[in-house]
Amino acid sequence: MLKVATTLRLVSRQGNQVRLLATAAGYKEALVNVPPTKLSVLDNGIRVASEDSGAATATVGLWIDAGSRYETYRNNGVAHFLEHMAFKGTSKRSQTDLELLVENMGAHLNAYTSREQTVFYAKCLANDVPAAVEILADIIQNSSLAEPEIERERGVILREMQDVESNLQEVVFDHLHATAFQGTPLGQTILGPTRNIKKISKSDLQNYIKTHYQPSRIVLAGAGGVDHQKLVDLANKNFSGLKNTVTDVEITPCRYTGSEIRVRDDSMPLAHVAIAVEGAGWTDADNIPLMVANTLIGAWDRSQGGGVNNASYLARAASSGNLCHSFQSFNTCYKDTGLWGIYFVAEPLQLEDMVYNIQKEWMKLCNTVTEGEVERARNLLKTNMLLQLDGTTPVCEDIGRQMLCYNRRIPIHELDARIDAVTVQNVRDVCYKYLYDRCPAVAAVGPTEGLPDYTRIRAGMYWLRV
Amino acid sequence: MSHVMEVKHLFSRLFSLKNGLSANRWAVRNYSQDIEISAAAVNRGNVTPLPPLSEAMPNLPPVIYSSAVTDDALTEVTVLSNGLRVASEKKFGQFCTAGVVIDSGPRYEVAYPNGICHFLEKLSFGATHMYATRDVMHRELEKHGGICDCQGSRDTTVYATSADSRGLGAVTQVLAEVTLRPQLTPDEIESARQAVAFELETLLMRPEQENILMDMIHSAAYKANTLGLPKICRNENVNKIDRDIILNYLKNHYTPDRMVVAAVGVEHEPFVEYVQKYFVDMKPTWHVDEAFVPNVDRSIAQYTGGMEQDDCEIPLYPGSDLPELTHIVIGLESCSHSDPDFVPTCVLNMMMGGGGSFSAGGPGKGMYTRLYTNVLNRYHWMFNATAYNHAYGDTGLFCIHAASPPNRIYDTTLVIARELANMAGKVGETELRRAKTQLQSMLLMNLEARPVVFEDVGRQVLATGKRKPPSYFINEIEKTTAEDVIRVAQRMLSTKPAVAARGKLAHLPTYDEIQANISNVKSDTSQGRKLNLFRA
Repeated sequence: MLKVATTLRLVSRQGNQVRLLATAAGYKEALVNVPPTKLSVLDNGIRVASEDSGAATATVGLWIDAGSRYETYRNNGVAHFLEHMAFKGTSKRSQTDLELLVENMGAHLNAYTSREQTVFYAKCLANDVPAAVEILADIIQNSSLAEPEIERERGVILREMQDVESNLQEVVFDHLHATAFQGTPLGQTILGPTRNIKKISKSDLQNYIKTHYQPSRIVLAGAGGVDHQKLVDLANKNFSGLKNTVTDVEITPCRYTGSEIRVRDDSMPLAHVAIAVEGAGWTDADNIPLMVANTLIGAWDRSQGGGVNNASYLARAASSGNLCHSFQSFNTCYKDTGLWGIYFVAEPLQLEDMVYNIQKEWMKLCNTVTEGEVERARNLLKTNMLLQLDGTTPVCEDIGRQMLCYNRRIPIHELDARIDAVTVQNVRDVCYKYLYDRCPAVAAVGPTEGLPDYTRIRAGMYWLRV
Repeated sequence: MSHVMEVKHLFSRLFSLKNGLSANRWAVRNYSQDIEISAAAVNRGNVTPLPPLSEAMPNLPPVIYSSAVTDDALTEVTVLSNGLRVASEKKFGQFCTAGVVIDSGPRYEVAYPNGICHFLEKLSFGATHMYATRDVMHRELEKHGGICDCQGSRDTTVYATSADSRGLGAVTQVLAEVTLRPQLTPDEIESARQAVAFELETLLMRPEQENILMDMIHSAAYKANTLGLPKICRNENVNKIDRDIILNYLKNHYTPDRMVVAAVGVEHEPFVEYVQKYFVDMKPTWHVDEAFVPNVDRSIAQYTGGMEQDDCEIPLYPGSDLPELTHIVIGLESCSHSDPDFVPTCVLNMMMGGGGSFSAGGPGKGMYTRLYTNVLNRYHWMFNATAYNHAYGDTGLFCIHAASPPNRIYDTTLVIARELANMAGKVGETELRRAKTQLQSMLLMNLEARPVVFEDVGRQVLATGKRKPPSYFINEIEKTTAEDVIRVAQRMLSTKPAVAARGKLAHLPTYDEIQANISNVKSDTSQGRKLNLFRA
């Protein structure tokens, strides 16, 4: 029997190869109806990447390889604090001047921080790109970080913290990171603990900028009406003053631990639960089959009604069995690791059935997923990934993120080909590798009494068969 | 050998379907030795032979990228033999958006039980003559990476799909099927009924009030006629609306002369051919003979003004410390989108701006518009103050929506009323310039998204037979002067206000008080100065 299986595998391998070539041939004829992404590197290491669509508007932004992952126990929260200080004035212009300048241009300035990335971007009319780049350069190089503003933002951030606490999905994901990456920087929250927010000082902020806003870790991305050469010239003009001072910033490898956190609160009507296994890092080729597997589980909520036609079996089970209010599968990536799993919201008495059904679907992915299902998931995945690239801001975000993650932008036809190349065997293999008989990380908030015990959830991660 | 595997899988699937979801645990038999797992997966190696995502995939053919072209924003329009208009525009991207824009909505429901269009939204993209079930159609769309939705406003219904441009033929067929040949089976009608009932129920349990308030302010502004008819199905009609009523409505309103089939990101010629084939050569479900004359409510919207009140409890935002809120909307009649005053009205709307007092986002959200500088920054109890302008084919409604705790609603209402009155006062050079630039950039930024361009093309061609390019509006905005803005404000202020209020209303001023505050300042400049004192 073992021998047979080996032969079968060889056959399917060959099938895989043929498939790949066939896909490639199909693309020979087709034009790619998008402009190319052009990339240049400045002398100081800043990468400039842009896609010129000739539109009347544009988005330009700075994607910086810095985030809460680079913080320590002591300064956790600094990256996010800086995001708040970004629009509070620079040595060149006061807060009001900056606001009026942006408002009068009809532009928008925005910033966000994640565990591994810090982003500042501006959306503006194509003619205002030079002004927008100058503003972005100003806020990351000359932020005034005045003491009174720091004090005021402390209050704002503490208030924001309350808002985050009322968003249970964020709370659950913070707990999930805290348990899955316990004892490592990825386990920290982005906002940081209250004690840090209360004592972060001007010098903490300055130190963080000095260490992490290194030109070699910055990407200037542009999309829309952005001429690449002009953007490069603008970057040279506005960023040439930046020098690499810290050459080797070590990133601590983040160890994954299968474990759980339950925050039981019976006064809440619904339980919010996330269950995940360790996934792949950004660049890992396994990511594409993992995303297909992720799409097979899909997402659903009650407003979609009877999910009888839904591509996801779990959605059908959830709607016909009234198992939960909503669920969504996720595949979160970091540099060297990731979390692949599901988040759901359910009534206390449905938790056990929901978990049973999730794990049943997961085991099906490892063992009996079929060609038809995988084909449908491949199509859905392509749609989800490509349809959202509409407008200058989503395209610019895609460029900036991919430059930081892959140090290139994956061309659309390559992404298409990579997704098309995913076979049923790949999906089973990848699920067997990451999911089957692995220790999950579990985070739950609310009336969690009915959630099966960790050992029972762990036991659902494999099949005992005759 | 592999066939044996396939058959085994097929059977296990059949069993699992036959026996339902819970009882199939023992029906599926899997033998561990049957399952092939690559050695790579077992050894934790990569499961595919492909390089990491940071490296290019080998053996990919070279591709030709398109490059930036500026003159592709040209809309081509063709009128087919039965009066159906087909409009298309080219655009970058692998995907296209195609859809049908129909002159249909609650404003035409006067002779029917209100709520048909609400039902039609729920029934959209269901079973048709060609596609036996919703599932078959969705799979057809999925093949081309397609998604679909149907949204209606008071006077327009839009069926839209976005899909890979290479699947245009299939997408056009789907669109023709869902608009002209829906099955509307009893099962579908029943589930639409449940969905509508569920929505009515949740609407009352949610803290968001926008949809309810929009129905209320329109009902106050156009009492019991056209645009004043509710968009949300009335409770008593949920069980009244049936297949015959819906089919009768469709027969009268989904006629070729009231429809535009539009697409963005496609070539015009093949698109017209597909539309001819699926919309003209193939006939609709409802039989129409030569003698049939559609019966449509063609009356012009009558602006009445007046007040709508709903004294009730408004649910709180879960898990947040926001207080209970009472909402007030004050509206005035503005002008239709074909009126020469339309663009100045939009500039005025931008100048009033506003938003939420805790809204997220950096500079650029309109922090220096009047509703921020004169209202939200001064009166910290106010939770929200936002200006809207709704423009229709024959009229328009300009309104300001504000929310505050119930005990502050008296002040809130009068502050908003005075701010409306103040619109006819002085217009500053800087604020006008800012409003014009912001309106121009907002227009262009919105048009970045393909579905927005599609809707713009469809609506304009439906209303006027052609599409004015964005550059036309950019120029019109540029031409707007302070006098234009004051003129449209005065024109609006000469109409009777429409007022909608929802929440705890014990402290709400009377209609006369509101009206007096709106007209007071306008006639008497000294009042205006006094108001400034009051503000400081």
